[in-house]
Amino acid sequence: METFNNSKPVLVLLLLPCLLLYSLISFNSSSVEAAMHTNNWAVLVCTSRFWFNYRHMANTLSLYRTVKRLGIPDERIILMLADDMACNTRNKYPAQVFNNENHRLNLYGDNVEVDYRGYEVTVENFLRVLTGRHETAVPRSKRLLSDEGSHILLYMTGHGGDEFLKFQDSEELQSHDLADAVKQMKEKHRFKELLIMVDTCQAATLFNQLQSPGVLAIGSSMKGENSYSHHLDSDVGVSVVDRFTYYTLAFFERLNIYDNASLSSLFSSYNPSWLMSTAYYRKDLYKRNLEEVPVTNFFGSVMETIHTDAAYKALSRRNSGRFEAQMSLDSVHHAERRTLMKVNDQEETHDVNPEGNKQPLQGEEGASKCPWSTFCNKFRKGENVDSLVNYGLVTMIPLLVIPTWLVR
Amino acid sequence: MAETIENSHSDEKPKPRVRPIVRFGIFLVSHSFLVSIVCFTSGVLALFLLPVLAKNTYISENALMPGSASPMLSNQHVSDGNRLVKDLTNSNLKSSETGIESHKIIAQYMLDVGAEVSFHKFHPQMNQFHPLHFFSSPDSGKIQENYSCSSYGINTVGIIRAPRGDGKEAIVLVTPYNALTSSFGEVLSLGIAYSVFSLLTQVTWLAKDIIWLVADSQFGEYAAVSAWLREYQTPKFSSMSALNAEMCPDINNLFEIEVHSMAGSKFSNSFRRAGTMTAALVLKVRDQSEQFDDTISIYAEASNGQMPNLDLINVVNYLAVHRQGLRVNVEKLWSFLNLGWLKSLGEIFESLANIAKSLNPKFKFGIPATEYVEGTAILASSLYYQALGVPTGPHGAFRDYQVDAITLEISPKFSLDKVWRNDIILRGGRLIEGVIRSVNNLLEKFHQSFFLYLLTSPSKFVSVGVYMIAFALLIAPLPMVAASLYVDSNSSSNCSKGDSSTPSAITDTDEHGITIRSWRWLNSAKLVFIVHLWGAIVSVLPYFICQIPDCSPTTSFMIWVLLSILSLLILNSVLASPFACVKASQEKEWALVKSVTISSVFIGLGLMSVINFATAEIGALLMVPMCLLARPLKLDVRAGTFRSCCRIICNLVLGHIAFPPAAFFLLKGMLDGFGSANVGGFWMWVESLWAWNSATYLFIGMVQLPCWVLCVSILFHSC
Repeated sequence: METFNNSKPVLVLLLLPCLLLYSLISFNSSSVEAAMHTNNWAVLVCTSRFWFNYRHMANTLSLYRTVKRLGIPDERIILMLADDMACNTRNKYPAQVFNNENHRLNLYGDNVEVDYRGYEVTVENFLRVLTGRHETAVPRSKRLLSDEGSHILLYMTGHGGDEFLKFQDSEELQSHDLADAVKQMKEKHRFKELLIMVDTCQAATLFNQLQSPGVLAIGSSMKGENSYSHHLDSDVGVSVVDRFTYYTLAFFERLNIYDNASLSSLFSSYNPSWLMSTAYYRKDLYKRNLEEVPVTNFFGSVMETIHTDAAYKALSRRNSGRFEAQMSLDSVHHAERRTLMKVNDQEETHDVNPEGNKQPLQGEEGASKCPWSTFCNKFRKGENVDSLVNYGLVTMIPLLVIPTWLVR
Repeated sequence: MAETIENSHSDEKPKPRVRPIVRFGIFLVSHSFLVSIVCFTSGVLALFLLPVLAKNTYISENALMPGSASPMLSNQHVSDGNRLVKDLTNSNLKSSETGIESHKIIAQYMLDVGAEVSFHKFHPQMNQFHPLHFFSSPDSGKIQENYSCSSYGINTVGIIRAPRGDGKEAIVLVTPYNALTSSFGEVLSLGIAYSVFSLLTQVTWLAKDIIWLVADSQFGEYAAVSAWLREYQTPKFSSMSALNAEMCPDINNLFEIEVHSMAGSKFSNSFRRAGTMTAALVLKVRDQSEQFDDTISIYAEASNGQMPNLDLINVVNYLAVHRQGLRVNVEKLWSFLNLGWLKSLGEIFESLANIAKSLNPKFKFGIPATEYVEGTAILASSLYYQALGVPTGPHGAFRDYQVDAITLEISPKFSLDKVWRNDIILRGGRLIEGVIRSVNNLLEKFHQSFFLYLLTSPSKFVSVGVYMIAFALLIAPLPMVAASLYVDSNSSSNCSKGDSSTPSAITDTDEHGITIRSWRWLNSAKLVFIVHLWGAIVSVLPYFICQIPDCSPTTSFMIWVLLSILSLLILNSVLASPFACVKASQEKEWALVKSVTISSVFIGLGLMSVINFATAEIGALLMVPMCLLARPLKLDVRAGTFRSCCRIICNLVLGHIAFPPAAFFLLKGMLDGFGSANVGGFWMWVESLWAWNSATYLFIGMVQLPCWVLCVSILFHSC
């Protein structure tokens, strides 16, 4: 009886290090989810065919040109065009596509890589691209190889209606399908943040079913509204661009790769009287403040630079998972404090303090010098597992000694 | 009967509930008189309301996008066209004997702009009556026996291949041209077509091939176009052309010359084809015109009231009005414009609409009285030409192959100076170019818009869903009246029997009598059948009459009438003596005859409305009141009341009007004045109907004429 009572503190002492270990591990794993923004992808989809839908292809190609200009490389752009207007026999300018009647800019120049073309653009293929469930034969260039650090721009244009978007004059993508695909992407850590931009009639209805966090959606028109074309090219004989896309492009034409215009400035640039519809954005799933997110976070490939003194350390983190975890921890902290770069230059400079080695650690509880924390650090760094085991054995010895002493 | 007996057996049990629809039917049948009056008047009213209910046309097919491209036809092309006009008029002055010279000029011009050229020579087919050829497609295999080298026509065909197209589709442009007696209008239409043609050889946006057919109209515009189409759609694999060339050296000669002079060019001796035809435009320029404006008339009706897709008319109308500033006309019956009662009807509708508007500003269905009168005139002509079943122009030949086609007739305000001519070539050419570019954008056949419609103005139409209502209301009383007559005649004969015979006798003969009485209608059905058989014989008779050589229309008509009467008498005596039999058996027999007649008319009208709606509509207007009112004159005379007097008058008037020749003369008189109507005219009209395979002819012969005979027999029934 007595002996049992006496053993209680011993148990407590035994449990203590275990709890400590558990809490450390769990802390690490939670930091993995909030990965850092490391790359940008764009999926640009034109869903309608036929000559009279010239403008949809021109919309998509214009967006393609813009994101390319702002720094997303071709290999990270999935371009889906449901028809080939450039080679349509009705095209007065063979192999050229224009989005303006002044014909200054040929959108279908030399460096256009169309990944899905013509009848390949189906709802099935679109969902496969998003969710990454391809057949084995599909080449890497046609896959969306994004990861948990990706910002993805999903641009879609075509003919839509209440909670659907028409594909190819024969199929429909419903808002449920889209929401489901996005949810799967989230589960599979295929994106960090996703911006869905849709230019169709009643575009806003397409976002109704979205639930996944980190998704920002903007559509050209509310429920019951139509999206209109901007102008007709009487030379080509068709409308060449839609209003929403036209004013989006007008916004981006003023920018270059280094500009820091925020998403909110893009969203507020849409004037309902110009659009003849009300641009709608849904941001309840998106945690960051729109005024603090530069548009280049989605439309370009600009991400925060991580300053490291050691030139090769950044590369080596690919190999050591532990180090990456540390970096991501850092980025969580960064994200909290993040504002437009121009505004908080000071903070940036403050971040890059001359503490050298300890800079990555700064995100933690300051640089506490107590031995316990050094132990923790060492443990987390995993510099020498052997020593860790040794420490453990050494701590076990007093634990063994004390109970025997108590029992006696 | 059996049911009533059963009911009497199970009297104490609660009666089985009759379903509401059955009760409603019984109610309608028992009140058939009132129902028929209401339905008929509302049917006529609905017909007159159609101009008010007409909707504005709209481009239904997204792909068409008319007028979205700016016209590319420049003054350069206009001067090209002008050059052709000049050359043709000069050559006509020089040698007006043969048209070969001008055909050569046209072919040379076509070759100059780089088109493929071929000649198509054809022999005109005589229009003949083939009783079994109604509704059948025109056949190619028919080989004409007696060619004569003197009577042939030459179509000149130029084809532009779409530079990047797949060559599976084509748009056809037709200009009728008679080289022998070429009028200036025809030459000008060639000029317009050539200016467009020369433009189209340069453009990069063609997705469909362009065929320009210069149809030799010396045997009629339709004959040339249909001959070419027959050759195009149903190729012959015999060596006919070689035979012809041997037989007729001068034709052969022509081709030799052409081949030599155009060596190395795209001239081809054989028949050339392009893809499936999407649409066809027939372009004409009227010589004389009293218009104050440059106007363009659209003719659309093809055989048996078929219409091209409404989108084609919409495109032409849109481009002509909004791009080229031309006034667009569709055919109208001018005599309707001066009808006073129509104008007052329009005013009534207008004031009614105003009242409705004052009650609720959302009600906007009124149209001004003048617009109403004009709409009615156009609607009437639309109905008339559809009912006639004869195409209103060469475009009708295309419709036989399910190609949408219309004829455009430009009538300029006339003056001969060069500036005006350039202007009309420019505007006409730009209109044609716009239509072709719009049709070029098309991805499939025309299918989005309506095929069944009536126009009330170039930009307003009544669709099938609306105009069917008027027809349905017109014929709705027929089955009800037939049923009520049948029930009446059965029950009344029952009653009379019950009165005369003792109750004990009834039980004996009851079942036997019932079976006999319930089958008595067969007697009347036999009569109706015989009369319809006679109608069929009458419709076939002209085939034999027209074999008689050297027969004037009047004598032909007389022979036809005599033979018809003779055949009626023979049929009557051979198959039965129905009238005598009827007299003997039953007093109320006429009611049964009327009942069966009405049923057969109902079936006939219903069938006809599917084949040619307009015919059925006009036929219903004539026949329904006649059928409903028919009643033996003797009975009415005996009654001697005011009501029966009115009925006698109505019956006599309708009995005269509904007789097909009488109806024709009346219509003709209304349209053209009574001076032109004569007996031979009817024969000629009938001849034209069967020449065009018009179903209206069958309708008149097999539905209307028998119905009229039966009604007249009821009128003179002796009871």
